[in-house]
Amino acid sequence: MARRKLKKSSPSGVQQTGRRITLNPKLARRSFLKISAATAALSGAAMTTKLTSRANAATAQKAQFAGSKKVRTICTYCAVGCGIEAEVQNGVWVRQEIAQDHPVSRGAHCCKGAGAIDMVTSPKRLKNPMKRVNGKWTNISWDQAMDEISAKLLEIREKDGPDALHFNGSAKVSTEMAYLHRKFAAFWGSNNVDHQARI
Amino acid sequence: MTNSLNDIRHAKSMIFIGSNPPEAHPIAMQHILHAKEKNNAPIVVVDPRFTKLAAKGTDYVRVRPGTDAAYMMGLVNAVITNGWEDKDFLSKRVAGFEEMKEVAAHYTPEVVEDITGVPAADVTRVAKLLAMNRPTSLTWCMGGTQHHIGSSIVRAFCILQLVLGNMGKTGGGTNIFRGHDNVQGATDMCILSHSLPAYYGLSDGAWQHWCRVWDVDYDYIKSRFKEKEWMNKKGFTLSRWYEGVIQEDKIHQYTPLKAVFQWGCGPNSNSQYHKVKKAYDMLDLIVVVDPFPTMTAVLGEKDNIYLLPSSSQYETSGSVTSTSRQIQWRHKVVDPVHDSRTDYDIMADLVKRLGFADEFYKNIKQVPEDITRELGRGSLTIGYNGQSPERIKKHMENWHMFDIDDLQAKGGPCDGEYYGMPWPCWSEDHPGTPILYDISKPVMEGGLPFRNRFGSVATYVMSGREEVQLAAKGVCNPGSEEPGGYEEFKDVVPGTNWKTDLSQKTIKEALSKGMAPFGNARARCVVWTFPDQIPIHREPLHSPRPDLIEKYPTYPDKENHYRVDTRYESEQDPELVKEFPYVITTGRMVEHMGAGAETRSNKYLAELQPDMYAEIHPRTANNIGVRNGEMVWIESPEGGKIKVMAKVTERVDDKTIFLPFHYGGMFMGESLSDKYPEGTEPYVVGEPGNIITNYGYDIITQIQTTKDGLCKISRA
Repeated sequence: MARRKLKKSSPSGVQQTGRRITLNPKLARRSFLKISAATAALSGAAMTTKLTSRANAATAQKAQFAGSKKVRTICTYCAVGCGIEAEVQNGVWVRQEIAQDHPVSRGAHCCKGAGAIDMVTSPKRLKNPMKRVNGKWTNISWDQAMDEISAKLLEIREKDGPDALHFNGSAKVSTEMAYLHRKFAAFWGSNNVDHQARI
Repeated sequence: MTNSLNDIRHAKSMIFIGSNPPEAHPIAMQHILHAKEKNNAPIVVVDPRFTKLAAKGTDYVRVRPGTDAAYMMGLVNAVITNGWEDKDFLSKRVAGFEEMKEVAAHYTPEVVEDITGVPAADVTRVAKLLAMNRPTSLTWCMGGTQHHIGSSIVRAFCILQLVLGNMGKTGGGTNIFRGHDNVQGATDMCILSHSLPAYYGLSDGAWQHWCRVWDVDYDYIKSRFKEKEWMNKKGFTLSRWYEGVIQEDKIHQYTPLKAVFQWGCGPNSNSQYHKVKKAYDMLDLIVVVDPFPTMTAVLGEKDNIYLLPSSSQYETSGSVTSTSRQIQWRHKVVDPVHDSRTDYDIMADLVKRLGFADEFYKNIKQVPEDITRELGRGSLTIGYNGQSPERIKKHMENWHMFDIDDLQAKGGPCDGEYYGMPWPCWSEDHPGTPILYDISKPVMEGGLPFRNRFGSVATYVMSGREEVQLAAKGVCNPGSEEPGGYEEFKDVVPGTNWKTDLSQKTIKEALSKGMAPFGNARARCVVWTFPDQIPIHREPLHSPRPDLIEKYPTYPDKENHYRVDTRYESEQDPELVKEFPYVITTGRMVEHMGAGAETRSNKYLAELQPDMYAEIHPRTANNIGVRNGEMVWIESPEGGKIKVMAKVTERVDDKTIFLPFHYGGMFMGESLSDKYPEGTEPYVVGEPGNIITNYGYDIITQIQTTKDGLCKISRA
């Protein structure tokens, strides 16, 4: 079932990999990049340029999203810094294309990078601010969340001093945001600030 | 890394220690395999575990976990005793070689065999293989660093490359593959408790420099601290922050910690993770800022926690620095989904409510571009000043014009520049530095000597010898006005140096003379501020070889190590191995990333790797009576225990157990799935491997020792 759908919806390159696809049939309706996720994972290695080259030539898919535009961006998983060509239609990320001519990744993706689009579409994302009340998660507004957090922080600062806060920042944000993490600690008045590079 | 992923294409041999790119950096493999196929370059894989890279390698060396320094110094010694060292390079560009040689002499092939388990003949054979196939590219990852002697181990790696003369050369270098996508950028911005951005440290001079950049009074920032002295003291680290709460070791701060932010930081990457739970239940406030709830959401019991949904990095924009020091612009793909907000917006709201927005955002109007400009203006130490947002975006638009072999644009709007303007990029018309310490090119074309950072002359305590630290006569980049070593540039603008002159006149002066702003010196084999001035082996804190502890003991206990007392000598118990006979080590898998909150919430990746497991040698499995796929309990000396599936395999030896560290959502045998906010529980939960990783921290950096602890195992 899955295999037949694959052949129908995605010409050329993906057929090469059809034999070993074992995922949900819904996969077939998604972009060929899902296939590369499976391929790379099953083989445990990067896709070869030859394969991605064929996959990229799947021109029949091009017309599918009328009026879409391409946005060049960078994968958020590891520090190799692979290129991604994101296809956006009416503000929705509809398809993820490999960046064939990115000078480092050269059109390759691992199974994680091939599914980058799911960072946005995953139903498991946090949808709104929450707090735990009597052991139960409760939705709250941004205003309430930020009000309560900042009031509590100012109270702790007043009573215990600025070093009573520890700030664990991130290697997953932009350099600009990372800089703001460190600058925040400085303006808050403490050196209790660190991130994943320590470990 | 000193070179780049692409530059590995030029290597004539490669050695990887505690690095497994097919799992951790998959797309780097195309460049590695290119060197293997095209140059016939051998790939030497040094690892306690037969990894996927080992499967692709030509030579596999199984070392006992935590003995990397002994193995490396053994290679150094073998190179020297056989006369394979690069004598010209050592005499002109390296300092402290004679002193280092004396120390390395201890590590004969036989001694190395006893410590590491690598056959003596193999030590000499690998040394010869590297010496006969230069340049060698050397790569390490956390397998090399997460030890109590991690800082010595990495220095031993560097020394090997100096002795072989592989530094500053295409195809050579020390090429540390960084982990997270922007860990290089975040490190450069020093979200680190011991430094202000760009490695300026915490001295008064550093604070004054950044206050000038921020355009605020030094006295204002001082007034934000409890007392001035706390500005100069290193803070708690990510490895041990929870000790600031639970205080099992004595802390050195006027208050325990009462609140913690986890902003884009999966918590189950902490060793002894079961102790973090204790801290959660004692804190007054926990704030999680993340696209996913992470394990922080489910581990604690108290009503002290907020979850703030930040949008993913595809829903915002900014620059990121790859492991090759390339700066790329991550363009926004779509607007924030659900009721999430960008990190920038959350920070702006927080700072406003805390009452310092005017000072904090004084020169920041356009986000993020004005931040790029501000951080660049201040980060002169590492040359982040030449990469304007406009230039970075131009590189993105034209990425197809850069050559795959040398990363230089051939024609077009970026003609002559290197992709991503790898730092240092000293000015708006500098092309970036593709290979550090390369004296074959002029500085304005991307060349650099070694930095002059530690004075011009040094006297070594071990020998009493005095040595000039500047490069020898005739050693300089083409076009240098000074035909040899020189000191760093200062007093071009009186009272400043190249790092603190915000007008950048000092840097421009150096460039106009064809010279490096930071001077031209020698690379050091002796670091006089470290307890081990030259790298030596010390037995892992929790050692499976009690007979070696006396000969290679750990350090004395260290008081006030990042605000908390840290045990060494008093923790190293020769008896421990009797109850905990197996070595535990951890690592990555390709389908998951970091603490796994993102990848375990991705249904495809979850389906590909749905189960936490432990790799166990068949002999171990048979001895404890467990078969492949059955469950085992693994316990740590610190009281951590996990119930995981046994994967019976000869990838590990019969003394070692391997755990991937990406799982979470279970805790010591119990699932916490029902504790996630409804609908956000990951597709896959599993025991965090880090519940089992042991006590132990590097003597300099306080990195946790997750690669060489002890454990016991039994059938569940």
